[in-house]
Parts: sequence; C-alpha cells; structure tokens
Amino acid sequence: MSDIDIVVEICGSAGEGTISAGEILSRFMSEEGYDIMSFDSYPAEIRGFGKCVAHSRISRTRVLTPGKYSDVLIALNDSHSISQLPVLKEQGVLIYDNKPPKYHDEDKSIAGWLEPGMIPYGIPLNELAIKAAGNARGRNMVALGAFAALFGISQDAFIQSVKRRYGKKKQVVIDNNVDSFVEGFNWTRDNVRKIDFHLFDSSPSDVKRDQLIINGNEAVARGALAAGLHLYAGYPITPATKIMEILSKELPKKGGVFLQTEDEISSIGHVMGAGFAGKRAMTGTSGPGFCLMSEFTGLSVMAEVPAVIVNSQRGGPSTGLPTKHEQSDLNIALFGGSGDSPRVVIAPTSVDQCYQAAVLALYIAEKYQTLVILLIDFFLSNSIKNLDPPPPPDPRYLNANIAPGKDELKDYKRYQITENGISPRTIPGTPGGMFFSTGLEHDERGKPVYDTKTHTLMTEKRFRKHREILKEIPEPRITGWEGQGDIGVVSWGSSAGAAEEAVILACEKGLKVGSFSSMVLSPFPANALVRFCDRFKTILVPEMNYSGQFANMIAPIVTRPVMRLNMVTGLPMASEDILKKIKEIK
Amino acid sequence: MPKNDHYVIIGNGPAGNLAADTLRDSDPDARITIVSNESMTYYYRHKLTEFIKGKAREEDLTVRPYSVYKDKNIRLRLGQQVDKIDPNKKIIYLKHMETVSYTKLIIATGASPRALPSVSNFSKCLNVLSTYSDALAQIPMINKNKTFLVLGGDIISFKFIRMLKDMGKEVTTLLYSEAFWPFSLEADMAQQVKKSLSDKGVTVISDDHIKSVKKSGEAFDIVTEKGLNQSFDSVYSFLGMIPNIRFILGSGIDTDRGILVDDHLKTNFDDVYAAGDCAQIYNPDMKSYWLSIGWNNAKIQGTLAAQNLLGAHKVINPAPQKILEVEGLKINTSWWESF
Amino acid sequence: MITPGSQYLDEQINTVKENGFLRYRTGELPTWCPGCGYFGITDAILKACLELNLKNEEICAISGIGCAGRYPVFMNVYGFHTLHGRSIPVASGVKLAREDLTVFAVAGDGDALGIGGGHLPHIARKNIDITLFLFDNSIYGLTKGQSSATTLFGQATSSHPGGNPDTPLNPIKLALAYGASFVARGFAGDPEGLKHLAKEAITHKGFSFLHITTPCVTFDKFNFTWKNLKENHSYIDQSIHNVTDMESAMRIAEHERFKLGVFYKDSNRLSYHENLRNIASKKA
Repeated sequence: MSDIDIVVEICGSAGEGTISAGEILSRFMSEEGYDIMSFDSYPAEIRGFGKCVAHSRISRTRVLTPGKYSDVLIALNDSHSISQLPVLKEQGVLIYDNKPPKYHDEDKSIAGWLEPGMIPYGIPLNELAIKAAGNARGRNMVALGAFAALFGISQDAFIQSVKRRYGKKKQVVIDNNVDSFVEGFNWTRDNVRKIDFHLFDSSPSDVKRDQLIINGNEAVARGALAAGLHLYAGYPITPATKIMEILSKELPKKGGVFLQTEDEISSIGHVMGAGFAGKRAMTGTSGPGFCLMSEFTGLSVMAEVPAVIVNSQRGGPSTGLPTKHEQSDLNIALFGGSGDSPRVVIAPTSVDQCYQAAVLALYIAEKYQTLVILLIDFFLSNSIKNLDPPPPPDPRYLNANIAPGKDELKDYKRYQITENGISPRTIPGTPGGMFFSTGLEHDERGKPVYDTKTHTLMTEKRFRKHREILKEIPEPRITGWEGQGDIGVVSWGSSAGAAEEAVILACEKGLKVGSFSSMVLSPFPANALVRFCDRFKTILVPEMNYSGQFANMIAPIVTRPVMRLNMVTGLPMASEDILKKIKEIK
Repeated sequence: MPKNDHYVIIGNGPAGNLAADTLRDSDPDARITIVSNESMTYYYRHKLTEFIKGKAREEDLTVRPYSVYKDKNIRLRLGQQVDKIDPNKKIIYLKHMETVSYTKLIIATGASPRALPSVSNFSKCLNVLSTYSDALAQIPMINKNKTFLVLGGDIISFKFIRMLKDMGKEVTTLLYSEAFWPFSLEADMAQQVKKSLSDKGVTVISDDHIKSVKKSGEAFDIVTEKGLNQSFDSVYSFLGMIPNIRFILGSGIDTDRGILVDDHLKTNFDDVYAAGDCAQIYNPDMKSYWLSIGWNNAKIQGTLAAQNLLGAHKVINPAPQKILEVEGLKINTSWWESF
Repeated sequence: MITPGSQYLDEQINTVKENGFLRYRTGELPTWCPGCGYFGITDAILKACLELNLKNEEICAISGIGCAGRYPVFMNVYGFHTLHGRSIPVASGVKLAREDLTVFAVAGDGDALGIGGGHLPHIARKNIDITLFLFDNSIYGLTKGQSSATTLFGQATSSHPGGNPDTPLNPIKLALAYGASFVARGFAGDPEGLKHLAKEAITHKGFSFLHITTPCVTFDKFNFTWKNLKENHSYIDQSIHNVTDMESAMRIAEHERFKLGVFYKDSNRLSYHENLRNIASKKA
C-alpha cells in the first residue's frame, strides 16, 4: 500500500470550477479511503473573478494539518496561480494549460515562473475541454483527468465518483464532466512522460462511501441540529455566515426556526428569548459581531438564561482581516463584558470536534443556564475534513433542563442558591412556575436587590457552576513523549492539530516532546495541565495571535518557563513553524 | 529618466551567460531575461559523460547555481522554448503561450545534434546525447544495456565511446563519412583515430553506411550496405551539430546554416545579435561566413555581442589558423582544444 | 381604629379583588413615583388580560431598561427584564421559539426609539406576532430627566437645561412607515380606552404597535403634564377614518399629534410564522 501524503492545490478564478474540482477530488479521495483535509480560499470578499484556491492534503495516515507547502499545483488560471507558486515545494509538480486560446502577456504565464527542480506537465486543458464538451467549461475536469492519469488513479473509480456526485443533475452535465475527465486522462496517459514519484493506490483496500465531507461551520451546524437546536438567529459575517446558510435550509425541516436579524444584538437577543422560552437556541458570528453581543453575554450569565454563541475568529481588531485566520478573540471570549461573568468557552481543535463541541455547548448552556461560547476560527470554519458520520448524541445531552419538582413549585425560587449552582428552572407555560428574571442583581426569587450579602452569595453561586461543569468536560488530549521530557507543547483551538503533528515529527527525530490541548478552555482543566507540565522542562505555547493570549492564561498556572510562538500571518498554524521553534528551544 | 530597456537573451550556455553578465555589469538597472529550453541551469555539457558514469554529481555539472541569477537580478526562464520571434514588433513568442517583449535581443541558442537525411527514415531508433535531460533520461538504459552501436564521426562520439568502454560496454562504431567531422578529410588522422579506438577494444567499421535499423523486442537489428547484419541493445548517433535556429526561420532574420551576423555579431536587425554556436559570422577579409563552435568561442562572442549591443563597435577575431573548411563552410576548431 | 379614609381604601381593594385582574399582579410594590401614568397603563393591561382570559403562565412580558422596564416585576407572568433597548428582539425570540405563548414587549421611549430604535423597523416588517407597549413619557425618568427621542424641541431637560435642540420623533408615523400591521395610540389617563386598544393589539395577528402617552410627573412639570395631555387628547373619529387606509392614517399621525385610537390595521397580512410555514410547504 502506498503511504502517500501529498498536498494538492487547484488555483483558478471564480467561475472556472476551481472549488468544485477541489471538492470532487477530495470526495473521491475520501471514498478511496484516504484521509483528507481541504481548505478553500478566495481572498476577495466579493468573488467576482477573484482568485480561488482549493487546497487539499491527501494522506494514507491521519491528517492533522492542511500542510504549509504543496506538492502539486493545478493551474486553471495562470496569473492567479503565479502567486501560488511560492508555496509549491522545490520538487513540486505543476499541471498547467500549455495551449490557451491566446498568448499570455509577458509574465502572466505560470510556465514562465517555474524554478529549477519543479516538474511541469503542460496539458492542453482548454483544447481538450472544447473537444470533449464543445466549450471550455470542463477545463477543471480535464485537469483532474490529467491528475488522475499522472498519479495512478483508476479512471473507472473516478468516473463512478463523479457520477455519484452529479447524480441529480441533468444527464448532459454528467456526460460533459465525465467526457472532459476522460479526455484529460487519455491525452495525458498517451502524451506525457511522468517524471515525478507520487503515486496513489489504483485499487485501495478500504473504500469508504458514506463519509461526510464537511467544513467546521457545517460540523457546528450539524452538531447543533443533532443536539436539538430549535432557533438560530444570525447576521451575515465572514467567516461564520455558512453556519447560518446551512441552518436556514435545515432547521425548518426539523420544525425549527431560522431568522436573519437586523444586527448581532438582535441575534443574541432572539437567542436569549428562545432560551428563556425553554428552547435550544444559538447564534454565530465573528469578532465584530461578537463585540456587539457583549452586553447580552452578561445578561445570559446574570439572568441565568441559556445562550450559545459561535464566534468564528478572523484577523485583527475592528473589521480587521475578514478572510484571514487568527486566534485573537480568546481574551474577549474569556473575559469580555462587564463584571465577574463566568462563561463557558469551548474551542474545538478539529472539524470532528466542531460537531461534538456544538452538542456539548447546547447541553451545557441548557443544563447550567448560562452562556457558552463556541470559539472556532477562520481555518476551522473553512477547513474541509472527511469523517465517519457521527453517532447521534447521548440522550442525556438532549434534555438537560433541571425543572423544579411539584413541592418546589409551591414556594418557587427561580434563583435558589444550591450547592452546584444550578437552580431548578421552569419554562413558560408551566402553571405556577411564573418568575421574574432580570439582569439586575436579584434575590432567590428574582427580585432586584443590591445588598452585599445577596450579591456575594449570588456571585459565588454563579461561579460554582464551573466547578460542576469541569466534572463533565472531555479529557484533554495528551500525545507524544510519555515520560519526563524536555518540551511540552500546550495549544488550543485549530493550532492544536499543528502542535500535535509537530510533536509527532519531533518524537520521530528522537526529541522528548509532548502535546496538550483541551477543547474546553473555560472552565479550564488546570490540574491536568499542571500534571502535564510537570513532566517537561519547558512549556511552549504556539498560537495565532500577537499577544500570547493563551500563554498569558496558562502562565500563572504552570510552574515551568512558558515560551511562546506567536504569529499573525493570517494563515493557519503550520507544524513546520512549531517544529522549528522546538528545535530552537532545544 | 528611467531606463526601460529589456535585454532578452535566448540560450543559457556560455555565450548567453557571458552576455548577461556583461549587460548587468554595465547597466545595473536594466531588465535582463534569459530564456532557456533546458530545465537545468547553466552547466558544463562536456561533463555529461562523467555524470552518466556517476563520477560527477549534478552540482558538479553546474557552472553556477540558480541563486546567482536572483542575486544579479537576471530573470532566468528555464525549460521554456521559444516558438517564434517577431523582430519588427520586438516580441518573442514562447511555446507555452506567453509573449515577451524586448528592446534588445541576443540569440545564443547553440547547436544540437544533426540528423542526416540518410538516417531520417529510422531516426526514431537513434539516441542522441546532447543535454542534461537526455543524460538523465538515458542513464537507466545505458546502465542496463550491454551492446552499443555508435554512428559517429564527431568529437563527442569519441568521448561517448570512451565513456561506454569505461563502463565495460561492448561498443561498435560506424565512422560515418557524412559526419560533421573535419579530421575525416585527413585520412592519416582518421586512421590514427581508428587505431586508437581499436586499441581500446572498440569494433570500428568505416567506409560503410546504415541501410536499415529495425526494432526487435528490446534490441535493434542493424543492416549496413556492405552486408553487416547485427543486433545491438542501443544505437546512438553523433553526426555533428547544427545551429538551433529553427524558431527563427520565417521571422525575417537572415539565416543560412546559422544566424547570419556581421563581424560585430549583429543580425540584419539593429536590435538583434547572435553569438556562439548558432551564429554564422561574416569575415570581411575572407568575404565569407564562418561557423564557430566551442565553449571559449561562445564566451568571447557572448561578451562581445553584449558590448556591441550596448554601443561598442568591436570586431570579432575570426582566429583564422583554427578555421577549417567543411562542406563549403569554415569552422573554428578551438572547441575540441578546450576539452 | 378605622378612619373614614381607610374604610374607603378597603372598599376599593375589595372591588379590585372582585374584578379579578389582580391575579395578573404580583405582590411587589411599584417603584414608580406617586401619580405616575404607568399605574394607569398597568391597570389597563391587567384588565385586558383578564377580559381576554389569558392564562398567567402563557404570558411572557419582556421589558427593557428604564421606568417602563420595571413593569414585569409587577406582573404575575413569565417576566424578563432584559437590556436597555432590547425588549423587542428578546420578545421576538420568545415568540419564535414558542408560538403558543402570548408575548408582550414593554419598552420606554428611550428603549424603543433611542438605543433600541434599530429593532423597530424589523419586527414591524417581519410582522412577528407580539405586542409592543411603548410607554412614552418623553423623558429619561430613571436617570433623572434627560431628553429622549420624543422630548419636545426646546424643552428644558437635565441634559439640555437650555432647551432640547433635537426635533422629536413621531412614533406613529415611524410605525406606519415601517409597515407595522397594527398601529394605535392610547393614553395612560384613559385606562378604559387603553384597555380596549390593548385587547385589540394583543388579539391582532402579527406585530402590534401600541403607543401609550403618559406624563412623567417628576421630571416634566410643563409640557406633557396630566393637564396638558388630558386637554389635548381625543379619539380619532372612526366614522371618518378607515383603519385600513394607510394614507389617512399617515395624515392623522402627521397633523394631529394627540389623536388616540387605532390608526392602522391590516388583519389580512400573514404573520412571520405563517410566512415561514408557507415557504416551507412550498419547498416540500
């Protein structure tokens, strides 16, 4: 079996089928049993004729990161692809159109920029597409045909996959796609001499047909649906918009309600309203929208009304870099808003975890009557992964509200002070369970009072929930060196995949390095972290922000020196960078 | 006033590189582009046989690494073939469908193995060794095969034969009367060569011609006019070199065997120069054109072409004592002396 | 010892108890100033609930911040005192999650027209089936008398002691322009009339905008006083005005600032829920 692990990038302009070619390739590879991680990017906010890149890592072993450099670049558009050349490896393969309908202007041809060592395969994409389907629309499929022929992919298997994908489309669409693919495949097989060494298994053993191929946004949406989401209110904002678009389609099918609001304040307001009314509700946004929601986050904590906010982080403060990756909203997620406001922050580290995190978030929010922030990021939102369809959530996650018993209703105290901080909650419609809920400090019945004792007791009660939550969050993920070692890499969110990969590579080189990440950041499993850190001389915290927000959070907890790797490149964390830092520290 | 000269040099051999260096030295800001159809950077072609033997590594072949071009701000376009030139519009058209405009052009494309009309019927069965990528592609085959027929007559064929013998191969050579090989005119020297080859264990056939070459399985069946009928694992041809000027034909730039230039290395277009193996240079004294071959000539000519392009009026020294005449052409023989 | 005064009070309490609307009232004492118009509004809303025979547990009263924000404290229903200006989205969220509930959004002029003014157009155009009770005393009362969005031009307030430089909004015109399907104005000084309007608003399918004028007896001694409001307020002559006539409604709203009653009502317009269901069934 081939142990192939390659990164393929398809680059073109919008409308050239770049993203769909990437999707077809990813889907096929997934079906063939490969692990894939893909990432589409289109820098322009408005797609127009802008540059699109479908980036996909395909591997026999589990993929933790999308890979920083590419092995194969498929150029559907020359001038856009030129700017993608710097990430092509030195021995990288270029597939390009060597017979475009007219000459490129000087320096606008990708073939003009090749460096020694790179392996170009010129394929008459345009010509073959026209031959196959009468127009040039199928260039993307011709290119995939060339790719398949070059890298040992079975023509039949690929065609079957394409047919499944286009199953519901018109026959002419299916035929044109298949014909274009075959044209590219046959021409390449007959005319191109292969000089690179990448080769897939032509007949892999573990074919997987039923895998989901979804990005983090979709995983969040699916998790939320599985967890019984009833209302989603959203306002368009990159990179979270896709969650809204998916739920707009899917929620009504399940009897739920989706609405697009006038602003993010209204979104979280609706979520709070639905939460108050006893239904599971969620909103999704990014930094700027999350800022607008800050006041409501305090109300959720204070009035003890369940609310889930997905914050898909993007770059920079203010409007910042809407289409770039960063992990710089940790501080506002943990500490945003006024007052002592304990909130739950869940930061999944992978697309798989996005699903679980959404289930967990809705469960915790309902059970603990509090605010849960699901902190994802541009990369997770857009990173496409293949995964086995997750099993339905454990029923205990689905109905978590703790309602008062009949006796308690006789003298009902909505904000009863309890050992675990959870006060039994009635939902509207329950006779005799009426109460008054407020963002003012209040007594056990909800009546606004401001005395010292009440505020102290109530603050303590609200914080006690965290002690309780800590008991039921997933264990931190600890990998790498198991004994006493040199460097412990502590990471969070989507950087954890790169950290884990870097640690695997470092261990292969004989370094004693371990990796720690926790999906739940608040309440934080500090004891587990301390135990982990005690095994290593130095702690390294890699994260995609400038100020080291997570490092600042854990530094007071651990008794080891904390080194930082902070970057604001706008790109996902790469294992290469962490590995380099590990070697520097070593 | 900002200069917007764009000097384009076609060819990344000694002539092209010396021309580029000369241009860069005197004009630090100009755009300079070298276009080469080889994917390897500037390398010593005569070390290819050592490379095949495994005695030289890739880095031993390179005259200078790719980074030097970046440092000198010379745009090196490797693996890119020129399709045609329009000297009136001052545009070159690249095979991969890109146009490049120039203000001044130096053509230094060198020469490549010649296919004689008499072998054209079976040229598909003949191997040539001229470039790095030829060598790269042929190494497995050369290592595997045992018996070789070399249609030879030029100096490269003798280097190649020596290499094969060093590798322990069985070699037969057919000294080709039509080969681009000046010494064949002098019978005594030909005799000397024949003897020296025979001494090395090479079977030498002369005064004969190939009649047919047929592929038979992995091997090739050879029949000569004089009745030789034998099978070889590989057949190579070294029948002299021919200037690489195909892409210029029809452009309006005057050509004959090579690109016709005056003794300043200028073509019939003011902004187009040629240097090295591809150039056919006028000698006013002899009232005739001469072809030059060889590394050192190329270097000298590349430098001179660049100087003249920049405004100098230097005349190329034809080095008459080394010019021989073959097939009505005068040929500078300095090439093999440098080997 | 029973004084004649307390005997009167006892009698009144008995009458009120017999009326039955106290079942919607909690035991909490109001925080409003004596003489506040909000007492009249409360009276009207409680009675409307009674007459509509609404179940306490099926009512949600969602308020913002300010004197009006305290309203749910006194109502024995599911009450939620939210954030300044945000009663509308929260109330909307309640209704969208639970169509079975009767949902009141309570907002002051600062809430609904100032800080939360951006929500009003959208609840109106979406036609989500809640009732907005806009308690408009044209002042920020809880923060002690600053100008609000409906404070008269030139009126001296604690934020503009030299006179308010801003032109007041016209809430009825706004609601009409935003496409609210029910637009009416009531007066705190006429609880009986207000009760009828409240009943109509609550039963109206879709978003109901009920603008309620009321004095602030503490911070406005000169303009919207009980006396002035009483003298100027009068009901729209329903024999002349057709409530489905938007142009007529606009005209009255523009020219007669103190007209009471239903300005506009579109009973045929579908509510948000109905629209969602229709779209979903079309897809299916």
